[in-house]
Amino acid sequence: MIILERSLEIASNMLIASFREKLMPKLVTRREFLNLLGSAGGTSATLKAGSALGLLPAASIANSLDLLALGPNKKKVAILGGGLSGLTVAYELGKLGYECTILEASHRCGGRIFTVRNGDLIDEIGNRQYCDFDDDPHMYFNGGAARIPSFHNNLLSYCKELGIELEVFVGENNNAYFQDDALLGGKRVRVNDYKTNIRGFMGEMLAKSMSEQEMDEPLTEREAENLLSIIRSFGDLGESDLYTGSSRNGYKSGGYISHGVQKDMIAFRDLLQSELGRRALTAYEGDQGPCLLQAKGGMDNITNGFLRKVEDRVKYRAMVSSINVSNDGVEVTYDQDGARHLLQADYCFSCIPTHLITGLDHNFPSDYVKAMKYVRRGDAYKAAFQAKERFWERENIYGGITKMAGRSADIWYPSHGIHQNKGVILAAYNFRGGSYHTNMSQQERIESHIKDGEKIHPNYRDLVEKPVTIAWHRINHMLGCAARWNRNFGGWTQEEEFMFDTLQTPLNGRHYVIGDQISVNVAWMESAIRSAHWALEDLDKRVRSELA
Amino acid sequence: MKYLTLLVYKMNKRKLSVAILIFFSGLTPLLFGAEEIEPYNDRYCTTCHGTDGRGNFGVQAPRLAGMEAWYLKRQLENFREGIRGYHPEDIEGLAMQPMAEKLTNESILDILEWVESWEYFPAEVTIEGDAAAGELIYSQCATCHGAEAEGNEALGAPALSGQNDWYLITQLKNFKQGLRGGESTDPFGQQMMVMTQILADENAMDNVVSYINTLGR
Repeated sequence: MIILERSLEIASNMLIASFREKLMPKLVTRREFLNLLGSAGGTSATLKAGSALGLLPAASIANSLDLLALGPNKKKVAILGGGLSGLTVAYELGKLGYECTILEASHRCGGRIFTVRNGDLIDEIGNRQYCDFDDDPHMYFNGGAARIPSFHNNLLSYCKELGIELEVFVGENNNAYFQDDALLGGKRVRVNDYKTNIRGFMGEMLAKSMSEQEMDEPLTEREAENLLSIIRSFGDLGESDLYTGSSRNGYKSGGYISHGVQKDMIAFRDLLQSELGRRALTAYEGDQGPCLLQAKGGMDNITNGFLRKVEDRVKYRAMVSSINVSNDGVEVTYDQDGARHLLQADYCFSCIPTHLITGLDHNFPSDYVKAMKYVRRGDAYKAAFQAKERFWERENIYGGITKMAGRSADIWYPSHGIHQNKGVILAAYNFRGGSYHTNMSQQERIESHIKDGEKIHPNYRDLVEKPVTIAWHRINHMLGCAARWNRNFGGWTQEEEFMFDTLQTPLNGRHYVIGDQISVNVAWMESAIRSAHWALEDLDKRVRSELA
Repeated sequence: MKYLTLLVYKMNKRKLSVAILIFFSGLTPLLFGAEEIEPYNDRYCTTCHGTDGRGNFGVQAPRLAGMEAWYLKRQLENFREGIRGYHPEDIEGLAMQPMAEKLTNESILDILEWVESWEYFPAEVTIEGDAAAGELIYSQCATCHGAEAEGNEALGAPALSGQNDWYLITQLKNFKQGLRGGESTDPFGQQMMVMTQILADENAMDNVVSYINTLGR
């Protein structure tokens, strides 16, 4: 399926290019479109696409660190920030006999692993909130990290090692909705209805193109037959390779005791009115593809798993004020309880966001500072409501995500607490355009999410209560979500690569910047751990040569 | 006792802790420390404005250390009243505005006292421009801001020397484009909106700020 979808993507790219050249100014008939598909390469494009695969990051077995235990030697380590990368370093170095101190500026560890429950503080500057959800184990909201891909091996391996219970997180759900004011007059459409129909029409076009082209292509008869059967099955095509509707998206009525009555097709042209269409077949791939997992009881149980091992090393509400790196160590000062304290260490690992490090007193060289100043801070935004009843379950939705063209973008239904009385739903998740809601007042934010949600769920306004909003751009001691390294769609520039290397390389072999911010796949817990492991392996080499 | 148990069962955790505290008010409060709500004060400044208010390019937050108390007070009040940080394109102003909106007169005084306690360090020079050309332009600024850019309280003009140069550029642009100073209740801002029209382009801004950089502090 992935191969076919990827092929379609490539074929469609070619089509788009020829559209722009030839036909953009006038309307395209179905016949012309089919001809165009043939002329754009048809099956040959499909064949070549096979080698273009590469959707998933390289899967590998969990990194088994082979680090030297210190034995009788003593080493002091300052860890700045109790985010996941900092906790990883503390945990691993603790095993080896290093003396670690974690300085955490806020009242909690975990960084952007943030689960909100009854009574919890959301420390947004200028909009401090306390969560008022019902005090039940399933009534929580993962305001930051919320999904664990099944191939994020290092994270999964820590979950196993630290006894962190996991459960399945449902991301892709065909029974969830699409909603776009441009599509069918703004009517909500089940993902399944959209997907089945668009696949039908696309399959029909591909099949038509196949039968015209196959004799000219270097395919054996058997290969051509198999390809055609894949296309027919992809689109659920009927006789003469025509798409005439499907039972894949369920029946209008019947289907158990009486025979099912097929649903009406959604017209091809109607399907093409929404930009959400491009997400219909590809929204759940790569890091967001099934199977996904979550920590049972809230993602912060991952933080808690690490804290069970290193809690005694953490100083809370300890805000770093200066970092001075020399050839033999690092001096850190921090403010806690109204006084300034000194912490001397042999090594320092900092997962403080780069845009906050630039505001500290430091003796960093200019290229190091230049790189920190270059990285932009992400503005991801999430919001959640307590639902007075689990109304989505009455609509056959158990977990999964509704996609909206409105700015709230997503509604996530909880994968846990099934058939309980209440639940917490995600009411908005805007990863790249979170400033839109961040710049609103709390009341405006909530009203915007209710208005978007009302287009999906009738009576939404009456069904939800007790909102929380998480504007990462304004959260105290964070002031940003995932780091943004590259500024162009074309990928990383050489200068950006150079700045990344500069920040990844430890200053004087003593000061490491870590976290998902020092990765090329930001925003994932796995990336934070990989960054920590990279730094630990580098440290290990240095310590081994020093002690040799 | 049965009734009490039922009552406790129905209450959420926070209410419960309060109820228990009231019930056992004679006992040591340490027992219930875990339920304590995070202490609150308005001393948030250094998260954005950096250690001891030195300013932070990373979040475009200016230097507060060394800022005159009368000027800082006026700006906090302007933000609080929404006559600064109102324009949708003034990204940093928009972030500051809701913070200031929460401030009481008392907490503004507390912040001023806190800011006064910070040691001033010279700001890093980051702007490249033609200081000689900037000096000619600055002669008009000097009328209010002083020959050494030391500021003039009587005229309501703050010191410019020693401020982060990138911040001065941002504010000159904001004034010129009407992102700041557009409110009738902000006479000083309005004056700056008019004055910034003498700066033909970004080059002129770089030049005048480069000159201010030579004045030191």
